[in-house]
Amino acid sequence: MSEPSNVTLDAITPGMDLGEAVFGPLTRENFVAYANASGDDNPIHQDEEYARASGAPTVFAMGMLNAGYLAHAVSDWFGGPQNIKRYKVRFTNRVWPGDEVVCTGKVVSIGSGVIKVTVEARRRGKGPEGLGLDEEQTAIVGEADIVL
Amino acid sequence: MVETEITFDLPVDPDRVADFATAVGEDNPVFFDADAARTQGFPGPLAPPTFTVTQIFQVPRDERERRLGANLDYARVLHGEQEFIYERLPIAGETLQGTMRIAKDFTKEGKRGGSMRFVTYESRFTDPEGDLVLTANYTLIETAKDVG
Repeated sequence: MSEPSNVTLDAITPGMDLGEAVFGPLTRENFVAYANASGDDNPIHQDEEYARASGAPTVFAMGMLNAGYLAHAVSDWFGGPQNIKRYKVRFTNRVWPGDEVVCTGKVVSIGSGVIKVTVEARRRGKGPEGLGLDEEQTAIVGEADIVL
Repeated sequence: MVETEITFDLPVDPDRVADFATAVGEDNPVFFDADAARTQGFPGPLAPPTFTVTQIFQVPRDERERRLGANLDYARVLHGEQEFIYERLPIAGETLQGTMRIAKDFTKEGKRGGSMRFVTYESRFTDPEGDLVLTANYTLIETAKDVG
């Protein structure tokens, strides 16, 4: 998908945009693969009938799958996963089959060698029929501390 | 009887690390290839930043509920937030020891009536030397029964 950048601290400035990393469009197979890899076997992410019985129009991505994509993006922006010292996410919307996950971030501050960033993952797509969702919605808002 | 904490082993199995990395779209060799990881100065492949969610394999939800006794109604529960604080990333091949407890449990009144309960499970992971590797905070939100 992408390579970690060889970024250095002196190239980082507050307010800097980190770019955009796009994953997907997501498929139901992605949810099954994540369930098997992570141990999150909640059927609401894999079983159409169960999802509908639970009040969802169809299955949807695990929040931690989307958070995994976003962590992947942060890793690549900052030279590899080992440079992430803290990562925190809050889940705000579901991500549906057919959606892309669009990851963005911004540098907030740099102090004592710690780069503080805010990050976001948006879902982009039509969403399930009949829901009338906006084409883009914020799925995750988060923050990370980076030490290069 | 409710326990104050649960301890468990978290094997950082190389195949499981590779499957997890693949599931979040990674192809950075640092997760897959021991030689590539060593070239970058690590003793073995790194686990992705969100890998310790695989603790659900070791302590399934029902066991966690029974032993820690949060008494949550999972028909009304959402994953609200997740945080990881790293000393370092887990290394494929090692086994971490996890200690999980309920770190926070509080109720907030919603703006439109109906309260929300926030329960945070804190898991601290240490290596065989007893050194802290990372802390994971898993926050569930239980919505009110009568929210329309």
